[in-house]
Amino acid sequence: MTETNAILWLLATPMLSAPLIYLIGRIIIRLRDSAAENNRPGPGRGWLRVPGWLALASLLASFVPLFIAAQPVMRYGVARSFVGGVPLAMDGISLVLAATSLLLGSLVVLFSMPYMAGEAGEEKYYALLPAVISTIIGLGCANDFFNMWVWFEAMAVSSYLLVAFYTNERGALEAGVKYLVQSAIGSVMVLLGISLVFAQTHTLRLDAIAAWAGQPNMITLAAGVLFVIGFGVKTALVPLHTWLPDAHSQAPSGVSAMLSGIVIEAGLIAMLRALGNLPGGLPIWGQILLGFGALNMLVGNMMALRQKQIKRLLAYSSLSHIGYMLLGFGAAAIFHLQNPAAGGFFHLFNHALMKGLAFLSAGVLLYALHIASGDHVPLTVDDLNGASKRYPLAAFGLSVAVLALGGLPPLAGFMSKWQIFVGSVETRDLTMILLVVFAALNSVLSLGYYAPLVNRMYRKAPSAAVQAGKPVSKLMAAPIVMLLVGVIILGVWPGLIESITQTAGKNLAAMFSIPVAHLLPMIGR
Amino acid sequence: MLPILVMLVIGLPWLGALLVWWAGDQRSRQQHALAVGFSVVTALAALALIPFSQTVQTIVIPSSGVSGNGYGTFTFSPDGLGIFLAVVATVIGSLAVIFSVDYMKGEAQLGRYYSMVLFFIGAMAGLVLTSNLLLIFVFWEITALCSYALISFYNDDPKAVAGGMKALIMTQLGGVGLLLGAALSYGYLHTVDLNEFLAHADQLPADVLSVMAFGFLIAAAAKSAQFPFQTWLPDAMEAPTPVSALIHAATMVNAGVYLLARFFPAFADVPYWRDAVMLVGMLSALLSAIMALVATDLKRVLAYSTVSQLGYMVYAVGAGGVFASQFHLLSHAVFKALLFLSAGAIIHSVGTRDMRGMGGLGKEMPAVRVVFLIGAAALAGLPILNGFWSKELVLEAGLEGGPLWMWVVMLIGAGLTALYTMRCVWMVFYAPPANPLRHIHDAGPAMRSALFPLAIGTLTTWLLAGPFSEFLKGIGVEEETTLEIVMIVLREPATWLAVGVVILGLLAWWQRKYLQILTEPMQDLGVMAERSFGFEAINRTIVQTIQGWAEDLRGLQTGLLSWNVLAIIVSLVMALLIVALGAV
Amino acid sequence: MDISSLLLAVICLLGIGIYAVLVARNLIKVIVGLQVLVKGAMLALIAAGQIAGQPEVGESLALTVIVADTIVAVVGLALAVQVRRRFGTLDIKALSTLRR
Repeated sequence: MTETNAILWLLATPMLSAPLIYLIGRIIIRLRDSAAENNRPGPGRGWLRVPGWLALASLLASFVPLFIAAQPVMRYGVARSFVGGVPLAMDGISLVLAATSLLLGSLVVLFSMPYMAGEAGEEKYYALLPAVISTIIGLGCANDFFNMWVWFEAMAVSSYLLVAFYTNERGALEAGVKYLVQSAIGSVMVLLGISLVFAQTHTLRLDAIAAWAGQPNMITLAAGVLFVIGFGVKTALVPLHTWLPDAHSQAPSGVSAMLSGIVIEAGLIAMLRALGNLPGGLPIWGQILLGFGALNMLVGNMMALRQKQIKRLLAYSSLSHIGYMLLGFGAAAIFHLQNPAAGGFFHLFNHALMKGLAFLSAGVLLYALHIASGDHVPLTVDDLNGASKRYPLAAFGLSVAVLALGGLPPLAGFMSKWQIFVGSVETRDLTMILLVVFAALNSVLSLGYYAPLVNRMYRKAPSAAVQAGKPVSKLMAAPIVMLLVGVIILGVWPGLIESITQTAGKNLAAMFSIPVAHLLPMIGR
Repeated sequence: MLPILVMLVIGLPWLGALLVWWAGDQRSRQQHALAVGFSVVTALAALALIPFSQTVQTIVIPSSGVSGNGYGTFTFSPDGLGIFLAVVATVIGSLAVIFSVDYMKGEAQLGRYYSMVLFFIGAMAGLVLTSNLLLIFVFWEITALCSYALISFYNDDPKAVAGGMKALIMTQLGGVGLLLGAALSYGYLHTVDLNEFLAHADQLPADVLSVMAFGFLIAAAAKSAQFPFQTWLPDAMEAPTPVSALIHAATMVNAGVYLLARFFPAFADVPYWRDAVMLVGMLSALLSAIMALVATDLKRVLAYSTVSQLGYMVYAVGAGGVFASQFHLLSHAVFKALLFLSAGAIIHSVGTRDMRGMGGLGKEMPAVRVVFLIGAAALAGLPILNGFWSKELVLEAGLEGGPLWMWVVMLIGAGLTALYTMRCVWMVFYAPPANPLRHIHDAGPAMRSALFPLAIGTLTTWLLAGPFSEFLKGIGVEEETTLEIVMIVLREPATWLAVGVVILGLLAWWQRKYLQILTEPMQDLGVMAERSFGFEAINRTIVQTIQGWAEDLRGLQTGLLSWNVLAIIVSLVMALLIVALGAV
Repeated sequence: MDISSLLLAVICLLGIGIYAVLVARNLIKVIVGLQVLVKGAMLALIAAGQIAGQPEVGESLALTVIVADTIVAVVGLALAVQVRRRFGTLDIKALSTLRR
């Protein structure tokens, strides 16, 4: 494997393993069913775990090409490859997306093995997770609009199936339907935007569009707006976010972690790529990002404040964290600075870890208190009372996760928020400084719903649900411990992944800048 | 040697926190032993730092490979001011931990208690020893986290949880001021190093420096429970009393005063800043003294008194008397910790915090009465005790550096301090007992071994005034010997005026029957004070309004697919309009 | 076919599709409305290809969209089947139990 075809292997490994896992899973189930019919001993329970282990193996194996492909990215800022005539380019942004999705995905698969044990359609689950991850990596590496749309749509379809996984539950079906309809409308808008851009610039390649010599006009502006709204449905910009609380709370906990942690961020990255490569390098796109960012931060926090269901609360809080990322990216887009973008990418990575930790710990509690007894009711705030006595690790994990999300040191969430805020103030612009104060106040407000959860868990009097709860398998503990370690280490040593996030930040700032070719006429050369 | 000591002072308590948690709540004896051991060794390490106060050495921990990323390098530069506060934090911390062995005997979730206390001690030491603004903020927030966790330690009590949340939110709101200041320092000077900032502060545009100065003032006021943020400290008294002594009297609340003292050289010339600082201190001192006069909960009286004394320190900083403020900080830390821990012993025995349920405890708790009286005398500002010397220095600094009318108010405040102190002492120890048949035991051995050194300290720390001034030379304090300082205080006529006012205050309580003509018109003031002059109402209104808006906003999530799609379409149209209008 | 009639057709299709998604009460009608929308977008792609002078690109894009969109339709209809089974109705007003 050389550096050039590493990207190919990175995409192919999870993507090709998906149908394989499904096939093997169905074969095992067929064998088990026919054995049961004929009263013969068939494959035991251990065999049912095979799809899960295969999914984990394929994701872990993908780390190798990731590492190899990362080398030229870190050295030169970009790595290119050709896959059947389609050019793929992996830059810092793609690297962040790929690394986050693989890391979170592996932990989610590990977590899901006991969580989803015995569910109908388990093999579909383990096939879909690597599929989603490979589409996200592809989305990050796409170099032209159409490629990007295809990966985007593939990601959307895989996630529809994962959201509506519990087909026996009305809530999951409702959430799935709404997600599908709204997401499809977003896709249509993206297609319209692509057609406008294509009609105007006569090319679909992102770098060619960025270098287009014409002046930005109504067509390109309209295309940009279509991209914002179209990708924005997937990114859960307010007021396009209405599918999110339902989808993230009704999905299985591992899927919730993936959705909040990486799927909506992939939508954000797609939007950034589309906007950044629009001709003209206009500041309006950054301003739109900032506007939506402020809206997201406020609405996300206010809606989460009154939630009584844990997963819904966490879903709304994802809205506000997208807001913080938009703040950093918007500042970088308008002022072409690297630090706020690096902070935004750092927050993307951290948010995946923290939200993953939160959803997985909540998942442990949901499993132990409800699912193991066959109940599909949502985990409520009252169920958390006194959970720390019987489920110390899950309680500690959820506490650390929510306090990290609230931006308390020495945890990861604080460090990335710091970089975003300080980087945004670097612009020395009054509006940016006011936005930073707004964001900091929002961060304080979020503690108003995060901290009471911690208080509830460490009560002495347990809730009825906790008293009746079932024990929890060790496999669920491992990803929680790993995420805990990650969140704490990044909080103490923010420079650990600095090289990756700064590269991505540089890419973003460059993307939104006016290309050099446009500046030459201005210099009169 | 110095880097190792600094790492020990911050790292040992954190290691201890981890080990106590690891030991598990089943092994409570080991937890007690570990906590005491680690806190004492930390205190010794901090004391070992004292000889290094004049060497200017910076300890650097690289935070990353990329420079200019907004984090700076993690530097620690221990100087006199920092080492002094670190010693106060760790020594009083270890005494509070020793006291806890008796106080928290048999409590559940002991691991959580000790690890939070130890985590706090390390963070407080780190706060004052570091010179990186990011780290100051980090340690600031960690102390807020530990404070919240310890106030709401009894999670099953809604009052405790509410108190913890209030403390967290209010101090975090103030923290935004600190965050903004640090971000502005980076934005305009490209450094988050405090020494570099102090050196180049004049290069900042005037309005940016103003914003930083007032931002830091807001942060300091919120942390030290000064006006208008004073409402969280009385509610924080739900915490176990050793925590109240350590965090809410002797250490964390001093962080605000520390911040003001540290950054005073940079902000002193910002227009209206010093006046604002003095005003904040004065209002806090006066209003909380009045509130202490009408409170009936023993810990609340001490809490209001803490706010009031911190007001004196803030007032002194604003007037330019940095030495006076730090000296009063030292005295206050010692005598307030003494008062709180004694109060803890009392509450532990009697079972209530309401002073109307006490009375006549002098007979059953003679040891506690003696130490409490010493602390109370220091608080009131009676001569010989450390409180007297430091309070007089504060008043003198105020007279020199601030307007006369403020000095008069502060003088009245000193009289009120004596009055409420006397009231408190009388209600607890000398009033007729509320329930003569109760069974009270005196303080246990661990409690006494914590109270005793603090009482000695209250009697003697003023003798360290001279070496203390030498210690703080680094921040521009004039070096004098103890005798010189003593003579300055004794020679000032203002001192004797203040002593007169204090004695008036004591007499006023003693002869209160005859002063009833004066007190009747003041009843309304008393009622206002009980309602904390409307601040509680303001807090409640803000919280209810936000909760109300949040509840109403939930209506947006209708659950109807058609509405959701409509929202998407409307957003598209509006965005197109905005962009089109913007491009025109 | 000239560009302006293509664009008119695009607008009509988009309009009908949006109207259907917004107003329809039956889930199947909503999914059909989505399909009409996507067809409108496909036509827009073809028109763009014509304008850009690369009609073959526009057509191949449209073909890819057909494939992707068919998959979305299949998933949507499968969900509709399940909805009918669990909810007993295809009325989208019934699909509003998750709110606030």
